[in-house]
Amino acid sequence: MTQRGPILLIDTATTRAVVALGTAEGALIEQRRWTAGYRHGEELLARTGALLGDRHVTLSDLGAIAVGTGPGAFTGLRVGIATAKGLAHALGLQIVGIATGLALLDAARAADPAASGLVLVAPAGPNDRVLLRLGEAARIVPGGADLGLAADERLVAVDLAGRAPQEAVSLGEAAVDGLAAAMLRIGAARLAAGDTDDLATLVPEYVTLPRGIRMPLPDEGVEMSGSEPGPAAGGARP
Amino acid sequence: MSGPLLLAVESSCDETGIALVEDGRRIHANVVASQVALHAPSGGIVPEVAARAHLRWIVPVLDEALATAGVTMRDVDGVAVTYGPGLAGSLLVGINFAKTLAWAHRKPLVPVNHLEGHLYAGWLLDPGEAEHDAPPFPLVALVVSGGHTFLVEMRDHLDYRYLGGTVDDAAGEAFDKVGRLLGLGYPGGPAISREATRATAYDRVFPRAWLRDTYDVSFSGLKTAARRIVTQARADEGLPADGREGDLAAATVAELAWGFQDSVVDVLTTKTIRAAEEVGARGIVLGGGVAANGALRARISGEAEARGLALVIPRPGLCTDNGAMIGAAGARRFAAGVRAGLELDARPSLPLARPAATSS
Ligand SMILES: [Zn+2]
Repeated sequence: MTQRGPILLIDTATTRAVVALGTAEGALIEQRRWTAGYRHGEELLARTGALLGDRHVTLSDLGAIAVGTGPGAFTGLRVGIATAKGLAHALGLQIVGIATGLALLDAARAADPAASGLVLVAPAGPNDRVLLRLGEAARIVPGGADLGLAADERLVAVDLAGRAPQEAVSLGEAAVDGLAAAMLRIGAARLAAGDTDDLATLVPEYVTLPRGIRMPLPDEGVEMSGSEPGPAAGGARP
Repeated sequence: MSGPLLLAVESSCDETGIALVEDGRRIHANVVASQVALHAPSGGIVPEVAARAHLRWIVPVLDEALATAGVTMRDVDGVAVTYGPGLAGSLLVGINFAKTLAWAHRKPLVPVNHLEGHLYAGWLLDPGEAEHDAPPFPLVALVVSGGHTFLVEMRDHLDYRYLGGTVDDAAGEAFDKVGRLLGLGYPGGPAISREATRATAYDRVFPRAWLRDTYDVSFSGLKTAARRIVTQARADEGLPADGREGDLAAATVAELAWGFQDSVVDVLTTKTIRAAEEVGARGIVLGGGVAANGALRARISGEAEARGLALVIPRPGLCTDNGAMIGAAGARRFAAGVRAGLELDARPSLPLARPAATSS
């Protein structure tokens, strides 16, 4: 097996953006985190460049790109995935899209190995929340509505300070702290198994759309046209 | 021609466009992934769906553009990208993709105003097209689309003086709304244009809002009038007013489409020609999706010819959003030393103004 270079990880699904370097085996080398709010795009490349520079890693040393696909804030996901795609394209690297929600559950379990029945909750828009259980599709719970937890389930609340019980918020913070390490573990395992994503078709996980709007099928409704050498109707005339 | 070769990225609305343009004029590739059919069922653009489709199509569009032009990123001198105005989520995809390409390939990044792109489509030459004169300064440009309707004077490159524009809806929005009233679906522009050519009677006159002594235009009154006229036409044909049951006779739809379109074309043409005369322009440039409208093209071209004004209207595929127009405007900014840093972010309400060069 050829020696693969380090993995560059980007996750912008939460309000805490993270860029990290990991070994090909998935061990965290170093991470940079910052509160991006909803302006992830302004700092992502500069932070990535600084991380690489400080570790004396050049872009051409990188072995693969891993990126969080959410669910999470639309703005962050667009920035993160567009950037990851640009890097993978420019460097000719494989890309792995990792569900941020599942990685957060993984990180929460790593932070508290005794915990069981973990359920992730995160904001979806200003009022609603998204709820994720292992083995189930993420679903939206309208603001104010009960989350419907079973007695033995424990909540991991991300980006919900003041809107969820303190214990759940603390576990959520621990999950966010361990997110990069969890994603690198997952990403390295998938790369080793050859389970990478198609650079073209990789898109974020969306669980919320405006009411009445259906999520289109992957390639529905888009037509690609090349540069047809049509006549320029109405060129300059005297 | 042997000027810089720019890779240009456009994603401000519902078209993902990437082009390779040489020296701001010659198109080497201009690939567009259009989402028009994607948004048709909802009768308008759904921003979340649009941004996701940009992410889905941006890599194939880039690959196709590079392959069509027969170049690699090594041959590219700079990366130009639309950073506003437009839908924030859509803009972010193109901006961050373009920024990353520029960074990883060590190319200068040139921020481009989308509206400027529509103006500069008039400079483009298709692959193999014979070279012709560039639009002459001073000129007056009319940009008219689903999102924008305005008149601007250009005395030189990148030098804009706003003359006037819509005080309410963009012309393209009015076309969409009236298209819906007439049961023609979305988008309304091409459908109304097609129906209007079938008209055989021309006595359905729609009002014109002249907003005298200004170059401003208004379409909200026309829209209200259209609703009243369509309701009356339905009553005349014994149909319920709300349009849920029963269709107007095909001939009526054609006459109404013609009447509405004639009002829009009349106002836009009159204001544009008056502006050209009053500022002493030598030429007129049209841009934006509505500039693909056949009636507008014919009317304005007749009026311009009668006055000896040079007229440039890009072919329809260059009037709608595309990467090549961003490459054309980007080349002027590139030459003027305008550069963006890695912090470039979306500016959804970016106004049209002379860009400032950076020293980097
Ligand atoms: Zn446009």
